[in-house]
Amino acid sequence: MKAMGIVFSNIYDSSLGELTNIRTVASLPFGGRYRLIDFVLSNMSNSGIYNIGIITKYNYRSLMDHLGNLSDWDLNRKNEGLVFLPPFVSGNTGVYKGKLEALYSAIRFIDNPAYDYVVVCDTTVLSNIDFREAIKKHIETGCDVTILANREKADPRKKHPLILKADKSNEVTEILINAPAKEESYVGMGVFIFNRKALTEILEESNSKGLVHLERDYLQKKFNENAIELSVFPVDGIVLRNEDVRSYYANNMALLDEEIHNGLFNNDRPIYTKVRDEAPTYYGEGSAVSNSLVADGCRFYGKVDSSIVFRGVTVAKDASVRSCIVMQGTRIGRNAKLECVILDKNVTVSDGTVLMGTPVHPVIIGKGETV
Amino acid sequence: MTFRKKECVAMILAGGQGSRLMVLTENTAKPAVPFGGKYRLIDFPLSNCVNSGIDTVGIMTQYQPLQLNEYIGNGQPWGLNSTNGGIHVLSPYSKSQNSEWYKGTANAIYQNLSFMERYNPTNVLILSGDHIYKMNYAKMLSAHVRNNADCTIAVLEVPLEEASRFGIMNTDKSGRITEFQEKPKEPKSTKASMGIYVFKWEVLKKYLIEDNEDPESSNDFGKNIIPKMIAEGRRLFAYDFVGYWKDVGTIESLWQSNMDILGDKPLLDMRDPDTKIYARNYAHPCSYISPKSEIVNSYVAEGSQIYGKVYDSVISTGCIIEEGAEIHDSFIMPNAVVGKRSEVRYAIIGEDSTAEPNTRIGDDPEFYEKKAWGIAVVGKDKVVEQNSVIKPKEVF
Repeated sequence: MKAMGIVFSNIYDSSLGELTNIRTVASLPFGGRYRLIDFVLSNMSNSGIYNIGIITKYNYRSLMDHLGNLSDWDLNRKNEGLVFLPPFVSGNTGVYKGKLEALYSAIRFIDNPAYDYVVVCDTTVLSNIDFREAIKKHIETGCDVTILANREKADPRKKHPLILKADKSNEVTEILINAPAKEESYVGMGVFIFNRKALTEILEESNSKGLVHLERDYLQKKFNENAIELSVFPVDGIVLRNEDVRSYYANNMALLDEEIHNGLFNNDRPIYTKVRDEAPTYYGEGSAVSNSLVADGCRFYGKVDSSIVFRGVTVAKDASVRSCIVMQGTRIGRNAKLECVILDKNVTVSDGTVLMGTPVHPVIIGKGETV
Repeated sequence: MTFRKKECVAMILAGGQGSRLMVLTENTAKPAVPFGGKYRLIDFPLSNCVNSGIDTVGIMTQYQPLQLNEYIGNGQPWGLNSTNGGIHVLSPYSKSQNSEWYKGTANAIYQNLSFMERYNPTNVLILSGDHIYKMNYAKMLSAHVRNNADCTIAVLEVPLEEASRFGIMNTDKSGRITEFQEKPKEPKSTKASMGIYVFKWEVLKKYLIEDNEDPESSNDFGKNIIPKMIAEGRRLFAYDFVGYWKDVGTIESLWQSNMDILGDKPLLDMRDPDTKIYARNYAHPCSYISPKSEIVNSYVAEGSQIYGKVYDSVISTGCIIEEGAEIHDSFIMPNAVVGKRSEVRYAIIGEDSTAEPNTRIGDDPEFYEKKAWGIAVVGKDKVVEQNSVIKPKEVF
């Protein structure tokens, strides 16, 4: 049972606003030292999936820079490894709009007889799972597609891209797209397991019919026609969805909760990221850091509370940083007061600057800006 | 297989036991001893080599090499996993006629002549695996070439009263070494050898072969090779090194060098981006700093959790400092745990060790007679049981 992986690096870019203007959603920094894609790649690497294609559309330079030679994920392999799949434009194909089109452009990578199964993933939903168990269940049920999903509480105001109802044997009984959960239900995590041979046939067929979206044009349509059988693989652990700026901010803050943190990070299945060889963080005279996640290479002389601090950040004397996400290399000047701010990479906050956001509408300062 | 000629090959002596580090090197080689929160001693010569443009390195291991070999791996963390050159772990091996361990520093290099021969280097740089310093060897190499030297020895100015602990070089005005005194009672100069040598390859080869044939020799660079070269009128030059350098031979010096990285203008700056020290990184998440913690003038590495108070200390990756615990002026090695309400002062706690709640380890010097006080040490993989006391100078 050998499986390969496909990762979509930018599908929901538009909903994350300024943060994804200059990068793919996959390379969005998260949790003090990671990028979103680290979670999916680590899950794959920890599950023995070493042949991985990354489907990119645009702005993928930061992603290539982050992944480098892939040794930090243990994916720099002789016979397998990671392949970038930028848009392949020829004839009537173009830059794709949906996952089916994107997958079709990668059909030559997918149609590799060395692999029986294909795990197709987004990067926005974060979890720490062993894909081997899910593939095992996929084989046992013999269904066409297995969808990884977790239980989410009812919330009539919040729309989910994919809601599933399933019977006791986890067989899917209903699919809803872009709908709120009226009762507690399974919500898709953007991870699908296909049989490799079947997937290539699906892609050929959908290309000839001009189909675009995987969920709407294939899964829901075929399911409603009773043409395919779908299974849910329930995930019990921590699942964090980054659908918009608000949830991205909340998910970062959620890592300050010990239970959520330990659910996402564990010693048996580490989450890998790019090594940067920074010195440990220095806590100077006058620093007061509390309830925060801190990466290496920072220097603190001021106050930091309930924040996520990435590598190489400096906080000057008498500055106060509260409930902020401070990305790599940002410098915060003296007497600056920041609350609920997302500071992108290499931002300079001048002395005495005051910035106040709210958890629902955090202030965002773009990459390299000076305020 | 053909090997491309190298301008310089570095040979790192990493076989030492470091017996004066006691429990810390019971089961591991001295170059694998942790330092500075996320480093090991071997990271310094390796990173210096890389930062000086040297890409071919041999590491001679002998004593308890398992952890060190694992740590070095294929050299990828230092960028030394290259096809042309790269890192080579050189352990003693059996030969058709005889088999032997490395008997002395010169003998270790002698036994690896064939390794160096393959790269046909112009010069060979010989380093120790257990010194803490940042140095650009390229500058030393160019001085060596400029002087047309057979051997160049890096020297450090030491206080006159300490000079008798070192090998002392006496030089003329041009920097040429006229005399070498090993641990002299009455030193004539204050230029101490740092154990860093650059040799012309052909000269080194000749002297090593002669040294090996001499049954009287103790096969040591300082005792045998260097004095013989001076006596025979070879061109030996001293290279003045200015900067931080520490031979961490003792518990005190290991502790002191960790304290030397603290402060706003530290004696040894670990943050300088131009002289980065690289280390093997493990996939630890960020460190978590709890609301009840307090951290002042300290380094805390990724993967640690701080619930207690930390002053003037170095806390390494994967450490847990529990609530109510207090750490003062100490070096806590990777993955150690300090339990609730425990107090650690002027101490080193070894890798993977645990101090259970309510322990007291070490104490401030001012309450003790000078001779009765010292750094308290907990070894590797040890458990200090609840309510117990490890006195200053005690080794557990």
